[in-house]
Amino acid sequence: MIIAALLIAIQTPVQDPRLDRLDPNTRATVVAIVDSARSIGLPSEPLVQRALEGTTKGAAGERIVLAVRRLAGDLGTVRAALGNSSTPPELEAAVAALRAGASTQLLAKLRAARRPPLTMALAVLADLVASGVPADSAAAAVLALAPRARDADLVEFRRAVERDIALGAPPAAATSIRVNAGANTLTDAGPAGQPPRPTRP
Amino acid sequence: MRRLALVGLACVACIRPVSAQVAGNVEAGVSNVKYDRFLASGAASLGSVLRWDDPAGRGFVNARGTYLRFESGRHSVDASANGSWFTPIGSRWRGELGLAAGASQYANIASFRHADLEARIHWMQGTRGSWLGATVGSASFGSGARSVAVLVLGRWWLVGDMTMFASADRSFIGDTAYSDLRSSARWRLAKVTLEGVLGTRVWSRGGGRGVFIEGSAALALGTHAALVVSGGRYPTDAVSGSIAGRYATAALRLGSVGLRRPNPSPRVPSISLHSGNGATVDPPEDARLDIETAEDDAVRLIVHAIRATTVEISGDFTDWQPVTLTRVSADDSAWEGVFRISRGLHRINVRRDGGAWRAPVGTTRSADDYDGEVGVFLVP
Repeated sequence: MIIAALLIAIQTPVQDPRLDRLDPNTRATVVAIVDSARSIGLPSEPLVQRALEGTTKGAAGERIVLAVRRLAGDLGTVRAALGNSSTPPELEAAVAALRAGASTQLLAKLRAARRPPLTMALAVLADLVASGVPADSAAAAVLALAPRARDADLVEFRRAVERDIALGAPPAAATSIRVNAGANTLTDAGPAGQPPRPTRP
Repeated sequence: MRRLALVGLACVACIRPVSAQVAGNVEAGVSNVKYDRFLASGAASLGSVLRWDDPAGRGFVNARGTYLRFESGRHSVDASANGSWFTPIGSRWRGELGLAAGASQYANIASFRHADLEARIHWMQGTRGSWLGATVGSASFGSGARSVAVLVLGRWWLVGDMTMFASADRSFIGDTAYSDLRSSARWRLAKVTLEGVLGTRVWSRGGGRGVFIEGSAALALGTHAALVVSGGRYPTDAVSGSIAGRYATAALRLGSVGLRRPNPSPRVPSISLHSGNGATVDPPEDARLDIETAEDDAVRLIVHAIRATTVEISGDFTDWQPVTLTRVSADDSAWEGVFRISRGLHRINVRRDGGAWRAPVGTTRSADDYDGEVGVFLVP
């Protein structure tokens, strides 16, 4: 009897106490969505956070449910593209990229082109598109850099593009020239973990 | 009228093609203009620019219109639109196909119309690039249409904080033919955008000749207003129908004023994100977020909010519970808090003095699913 009760307790998901901030009806629906997502291996924390964000912002219950359901759907979509081994940060970054305009095919290409984790590459991809870089150009740039660039290289690449755009360069052109510059820098890069050698201006 | 084209060009250039897709502004000003073979005259102007960018980033449409009223009571109206479609970007090459059309009328007497088709190929390498373009079309003055053909070769460079252009073109409009050698530069600072053009018209048959020089400065007066002053001398444009002249203009621009976004903090390797359709080009000036990694995976968040009484943040690292930041004694505009924030993407909002939750500068604004905005940043 005790063992049976323990098994039931183990198998019954414990409701996240943070969700007590939701009204009862909304909480019930959100909990169902979170449990459903968890049961298929999707991360639950982003869903909980999206619901909490809604409560802090005073959103109506149906809007919170809608937002959580949409996020759960997007997490499922990007996991299908990236594979079951994807980490929660990767999935969250991939959702951002997806909503910025990246296709699931591109996500799959990126997975094939770069060793995990993909978080930084996906973040840079989403950020480029958000900065006005055409989606195809941003995708081409990240895919070109993905196989060899370190996360720090991607950060620097993104900064350089943003700076060029701020100076007036067309976003697509800025991305393209920085990809070329990045390729040259990577060619001249020193051993792993060391900064690249200086190049002529 | 051509002088306002420079202002329009400045407007167009400063409108960042953001994911919001549409940007625009309205501009009202006063001018003193001296067209060739006319007396000098004061004038009042009202203009507007609207730009739409393809969500996939493969093209844009730009439209503008200007109404100009002279001291004499006469007026001119000028409207034009252009759009371009871009080929997928190659390793260094990209194609562009554009359409442009416009019309102008002066005092119900003279009217111009033009429609052009333009093809360009762009080549980019490093911090420089070139383009080669050809334009064909038609321009008419009254009922007489004239063919238009323009060949242009241009080059651009990024040098420090400045973008520079140089071009040479040859234009054929009916019997008129001329060549322009032109250089220009744009320098965008935090609150000021400076632009200048220096060129000369040579080998001209019916298009005038000589040196032309123009300059403009746009001073941001906030996030959605700017003071624009411009002046100079410009050559006849036989395609659009503007005649050569000198001008000086002061104008107030409302709408998208093209503020330069602050550079990412040099201390923080953070990447901001955007999830689709909510980005704007003019972030609020009074709440900027800096992120510093501290010891033991702790992250220090510093919010710069000028003249704030209280500053709160909420985010996924606080379970969206508002947390009041502590004022930094050394700088009254700086507020900070230290949080344990895991690596990866995070969402944050800032609220000052109990007002609305906003996305701070230093992150990229994003639609938040709740009819508001949220800032997204990455902790590497």
